[in-house]
Amino acid sequence: MEDVSSRGLHFQLSDSQRNRLRKSRELLREAPGNYHPSAFVNIADPIHVENEATVLKGHGTQVLDGQLLATLSGVVERVDQLVTVKPLRCRYNAETGDVVVGRITEVGTKRWKVDINFRQDVHLMLSAVNLPGGIQRRRTVIDELNMRSLFEENDLISAEVQSVHSDGSVHLHTRSLKYGKLTNGQLVKVPPYLVKRLKQHFHNLKSCAVDMIIGCNGYIWICAAVDSLPSNPEIEKITGDSGAPEMDSCNESISLKVRENICRLANSIRVLSALGFLIYPDTIIDTFDASISKGVAIKDMLGAEFLVMIAEREASRRTKNNYML
Amino acid sequence: MAASRVSSYSLESQRVSLARGSSALISPEGVREDGRSPHECRPAFLQTGAVNAAAGSAYAEFGQTKVIVSVFGPRESKKAQAYSDIGRLNCNVSFATFAGSVRGKAGQSTEEKEYSQMLYKGLEGAVALHTFPKTTVDVFALILQSGGGDLPVVLSCASLALADAGIVMYDLVSAISLSRLDTNLLLDATLGEEINQDGSLMLACMASRNEVTQLLLTGEWSQANLSEGLKLCLDACTKLAGLMRSTLKESTSNIED
Amino acid sequence: MVVGLSAAERRYLTDGIAQGLRNDGRGLYDFRAFSVELAIIPQANGSARVRLGATDVITSVKAELGRPQASRPSQGRVEINIECSSTAAPQFEGRGGEDLSLELSRALYRSLLCNNGTGPAIDLSALTVIEGKLCWNLFIDGLVLSSDGNLLDVLAIAVKAALSNTGIPKVEVTSAAAAEQEADFEISDNPDDFSGFDVSHVPVIITLTKVGRTYIVDATEEEESQMSSAISIAVNSAGHVCGITKRGGAGLDPSVLLDMISVAKEVSKSLLSTVDAEIMAAESRGDDQM
Repeated sequence: MEDVSSRGLHFQLSDSQRNRLRKSRELLREAPGNYHPSAFVNIADPIHVENEATVLKGHGTQVLDGQLLATLSGVVERVDQLVTVKPLRCRYNAETGDVVVGRITEVGTKRWKVDINFRQDVHLMLSAVNLPGGIQRRRTVIDELNMRSLFEENDLISAEVQSVHSDGSVHLHTRSLKYGKLTNGQLVKVPPYLVKRLKQHFHNLKSCAVDMIIGCNGYIWICAAVDSLPSNPEIEKITGDSGAPEMDSCNESISLKVRENICRLANSIRVLSALGFLIYPDTIIDTFDASISKGVAIKDMLGAEFLVMIAEREASRRTKNNYML
Repeated sequence: MAASRVSSYSLESQRVSLARGSSALISPEGVREDGRSPHECRPAFLQTGAVNAAAGSAYAEFGQTKVIVSVFGPRESKKAQAYSDIGRLNCNVSFATFAGSVRGKAGQSTEEKEYSQMLYKGLEGAVALHTFPKTTVDVFALILQSGGGDLPVVLSCASLALADAGIVMYDLVSAISLSRLDTNLLLDATLGEEINQDGSLMLACMASRNEVTQLLLTGEWSQANLSEGLKLCLDACTKLAGLMRSTLKESTSNIED
Repeated sequence: MVVGLSAAERRYLTDGIAQGLRNDGRGLYDFRAFSVELAIIPQANGSARVRLGATDVITSVKAELGRPQASRPSQGRVEINIECSSTAAPQFEGRGGEDLSLELSRALYRSLLCNNGTGPAIDLSALTVIEGKLCWNLFIDGLVLSSDGNLLDVLAIAVKAALSNTGIPKVEVTSAAAAEQEADFEISDNPDDFSGFDVSHVPVIITLTKVGRTYIVDATEEEESQMSSAISIAVNSAGHVCGITKRGGAGLDPSVLLDMISVAKEVSKSLLSTVDAEIMAAESRGDDQM
């Protein structure tokens, strides 16, 4: 069966819908901005280099008998002298400075372990978080015992990658007011290769009263905008509670209108991910607006008709504009 | 709708009907039961991304044999495992209860355990374990329909799934099996041919590197038959590797950049 | 696989359900869209694959000849067996999925047939060949390839679809036999001689998951992790309840129970018509491919 089953949702298309999708896909393939097909290599294919000795062999390459071969199926990337192969469906590869959304899996001594869709769970040291009160001081034994009051198991946090070590371990930090525990929203997971590293990962959509954090690791957090909730001090949202948990903003209930906006945005992201399109705030908002203007009910956004419509929109947009955002 | 089905409800009559003499399986002109010539492989259908939840997956259909393989990981090894500098590869093969013509029993049979070990040995040489230290990669193979040549199909499909998951490998592993009936060598044997065979040869190799990762031989073979068999298998593996490569290349058309 | 939800996420989920808007935009009683494929296992008598959201199951029906039970000489037997494959979730490897598999098998069995093996869903007397000596035994096998909640409902749809696809071959009794002897028989190989199955009495199962004080239909894995209790109700086309299984969790007030049953009956009407439509569409697709 040739239904679209793109790593997440399964869509059953009628014949006419299938044709339309195929046409859109063809248009997109020919549109400029796509990777050059000759850059694609399979495992054990030779990679063309001028001088094998001076080239830096990155991830996914190997030297055999003086020839450079690929050890992954994917696209060859050349940056100066570094040659790497980027796999088709790569797992998230942490890099210093990445903004990520992660889930606490373990509370250990002086550090938390966080799941960020990486090979292993990564570390968030106690010394790398902002203590409540915002004062810089040495961490005491009391702080160690109170780690759970800051973040406990299964909590979602936003953080930045502090360092990536040679043995593969990664450390995060939340040393900024914009990072911390996440509340009042839902998480959407997309394949990490659909998220490009941008200047800004925190987005505030004023018209919908919704905040969005697009983590480089493919975890996207959509929540009610902080200022839309009544009486909500910034500090409390960021550093967990500073005292009684009742002060937590997660006890504020979200209005139905805002909730609908969050749902609609989440579904827009899901549709884009099913089609394999890059996830930018612009594409998300575009899909969001399209669903409203065409009067598509939120639950129908995950249906076949909307999927095909978005593919057609993107195809016509790409062929008109010849630039990548 | 009914014409595409093979009737399979009988008690013993199926086994009885399969165990005919070798003369019935290959005609004097050299045509096999399913219309192929002796050195012709079954038509193969390969597809990646069949399972949503897995890091990588592949579905393979070789004639009547249908296999689906999903790869999870690399992810944290369970705490019970000792620390290791290189990664762990965990392979598991299971038959669906409706896989065979006779309904199978639940629970892992010895055949499944053997296939799991064979799968591991066949992939071990191709996967670069040092690229994912301290973590485990799980390979789960499920045989949906058993139509002969199950283990080689599982090996090829697993290697495709690993490539789909982005696991660093030295080369793709392709595998094929061969049955010997008297002096006839039948490539990519079906279940009926396997039951009646006088000898069998299964080969898994890394085609571009020209390295054999797994070789199993049963029965008594003359030197001539053996060398011919090996050559046939190696050629078939090379062709199969080419098919796997184009499947991986096509899957990129689903990713827009 | 749902790892676990933070307190904030749980709160968001339950609040949303209380307001009538679920995380994917569905209302409380909306079923996700699903697709049906028939005859995917050619060597079985009938088979189907159903995909709903990220849940993916395959069912097959195999008919084998055997002796009927002494207590019921004029009826065939049906056995249902569900297996959760390790491809669905790594914890199903080996014996991990056994508990869930058993629970699903028993719940399906209870809904299609009473505990003693009879039941209005499948006409068991149609499976007899020679009374007291020979009958067809149906083995219904289900395989869960991928799970995103609501496995029981999806399996029920898949079983109905597989049964609609099942053909039982005609058996010719070639020699009459005395009471002690085995009869000689011949099984027809001609596919046109296969008799189909009447699935109009096969019910669908609606699982109502109670989250907070509201109940929802067709819960995703995330929503299931927040349930206080759930109840699976099988309803057939006549609107009659054929089986009820309470699944785990806290106790339920009896009035709430009755209300849930009436909700299930309401939802089942639209679900049954959708299932029938999908099965017919799948059949015509199969015919087109011939």
